[in-house]
Amino acid sequence: MEDLGIKILGAILTTIMAFAVGMTYGGITRKLTARVQNRRGPTIWQNFIDLLKLQSKKSNIAHGFMGHMAPAWIIIAAITTLMFIPVLNGNLWFPNLTFHGDLIFLLYIMVFGSLGMALGAGQTGNPNSAIGVSRGLSQMVGFEIPFVLALVGLMVQYQTTSIKDLMEVQQQTGIWIMFSNPFSFLAAILASLGMFRYSPFDIVGAPAELASGPVSEFGGKYLGTMMSGGSIFAFIKLTLFVDLFMGGAGNGSDTGIWATLLGIVILLVKTFSLYMIPVFYGWVSPRYRTEQSIQYFYRWPLALGIISVIWAVVL
Amino acid sequence: MSTNEKNSKTILEYISEWSRKHSLFVMAYGTGCGAIEIPSTMTSRYDAERFGIRGAATPRQADVLLITGYLATKTLKRVIRVYEQMQNPKYVIAFGSCTINGGMYYDSYNTINSLDRYIPVDVYINGCMPRPEAVISGFVKLQEEIAAGRCHKGEKYIENLEWYRANQKKIIKNWRMPDYNW
Amino acid sequence: MENLEKENNILLEVQNAFKIKGKVIRDRRVEVMVSKDMVSSVLLFLKNQKGFIHLAHIACIDFIEEGEFQLVYVTWSPEQKIHVMVKTRVDRENPVMENIDNIWDQANTYEREMREMYGIEFPGLVGDHEFILEDWDEMPPMRRDFDTHAYAHKTFYQRPGREDAQDVRETITKRSGEVIPEYAKKYSRE
Repeated sequence: MEDLGIKILGAILTTIMAFAVGMTYGGITRKLTARVQNRRGPTIWQNFIDLLKLQSKKSNIAHGFMGHMAPAWIIIAAITTLMFIPVLNGNLWFPNLTFHGDLIFLLYIMVFGSLGMALGAGQTGNPNSAIGVSRGLSQMVGFEIPFVLALVGLMVQYQTTSIKDLMEVQQQTGIWIMFSNPFSFLAAILASLGMFRYSPFDIVGAPAELASGPVSEFGGKYLGTMMSGGSIFAFIKLTLFVDLFMGGAGNGSDTGIWATLLGIVILLVKTFSLYMIPVFYGWVSPRYRTEQSIQYFYRWPLALGIISVIWAVVL
Repeated sequence: MSTNEKNSKTILEYISEWSRKHSLFVMAYGTGCGAIEIPSTMTSRYDAERFGIRGAATPRQADVLLITGYLATKTLKRVIRVYEQMQNPKYVIAFGSCTINGGMYYDSYNTINSLDRYIPVDVYINGCMPRPEAVISGFVKLQEEIAAGRCHKGEKYIENLEWYRANQKKIIKNWRMPDYNW
Repeated sequence: MENLEKENNILLEVQNAFKIKGKVIRDRRVEVMVSKDMVSSVLLFLKNQKGFIHLAHIACIDFIEEGEFQLVYVTWSPEQKIHVMVKTRVDRENPVMENIDNIWDQANTYEREMREMYGIEFPGLVGDHEFILEDWDEMPPMRRDFDTHAYAHKTFYQRPGREDAQDVRETITKRSGEVIPEYAKKYSRE
């Protein structure tokens, strides 16, 4: 019984940590972008202040049942996906519900949030939302294919579909998968540029291009919920990448306080360094149109994904 | 002012007003010639993002509406529609002397002379056009007004709706506007 | 003395084709006075045979003392770089002018503005009656007998405090002790 209590407490802790880390990374990105552009930026906690302000709006305008449900879908999808990712490996405080097929399960449950937003945006009847949703889904067709190929390469090479087994393989051999299957890593990183929706693939939510696409009719509390769902999703994707390619964080058996804190610090360092790749690329890129971004994904990322599968089969 | 009034703001209200002060979403809508000063305020030299000010694309997401200069009667109809779509609490900042007393176009057949009669205004910034330093000082004044608790004009608009509508219908002859759900 | 040879040549050619008055104002500006029914022939001659292929502007001037509108058609030739302005007079009580939409397409926009702002009729003009102003049912506002100051005072609420507004020019001259010369006094407010 107290095991269950610890697990529930750990689940709440994980959610709070994902939310806080995601929002802080957004704030740090804004500050760094401002410094690169030779100006001072907002404070690091600016995303939290935005969220507080949005939650304190007095009137709520919604367009029907699906409009209420769209932010709820995103938050539910985010928290559900979070429970299945090993945040700290084997730690008692951060439960991760693992089972043998969970890599494939994660592949399709990560799309759930976008589905919810698409349904909600469709209900509003605004043509901007409809166009933004169709563009977002077409871009998703683009980046999902190299990503899936990279993961299939991993699955074939190590004969497993569980994230926990992949992390243990990295701990046993001592080499990160980043170095032992580099093509898979490169294909996944290039696909992740599309996942994080930074420049040049930010045509979906661009404010001047399309009146910000799917979120154009949501304001106040709904917008705040969507923003926090987006931050949790960013943390989820980063942790997944770190677990698969950089060896995860945290030892298997230690559950003391100092080991947990050390594990969290290592996780933060790794995820932040991985997050800087789309951010750096975004600082120097203009925006692609939808067909240009799909063409981008069907060139080098697709080629690298196919090479990684061949590498995994041959070796 | 008795000490009772001063301390009667609860913690929740204090946090709400503090967060509204430090994060303003400005509606990206340039109504008149003063909109030329907005890009220079938002970019590198006179950075407005360090105050938390950001551009928002649609009225549903925005807090602040900037009326930057003269308003023809044609534009006033659309501005009223945009203003009613924003969510409470909402603020209006009026730039330039055309909104105060008509400015350069005080005897024109097409521009309104005093904005206060048609939508409620929180802060006026004078100038023709105000420089980016003046715009930023206007935003700082708006922050002080929010902190003092004087910026609830969105609700006052709903209470005094008949008076505003009478003024608006006097100059907009062909009134074809829907009722909005507040 | 500038070389006005090209401008004089153009004027002579137009005057040889039609019996009209004209003069060379200065370098690159030639004006020609035509009667109302010869306008399209002169414009077609200029466009097709003399190389004045661009219509730059159509302007209207309200001569309320003589009871006429003066329409000015400004054409431009890119090779010779000369503006030729074709000027006509139209009666003010019942202003009807020919529609030159088929010669240049951009004349449509200028003629719609004339129709809304001055009330000149162009038979055969295609376009909405409402062009710039919305729900306007008074007299056309750019005519000189439309009192725009009185209309603005009647319709729009004026914020009090403007009555003691000072004229910038008067204040500065008084402050620095200068005197406004005679030819500039007709713009004074007092």
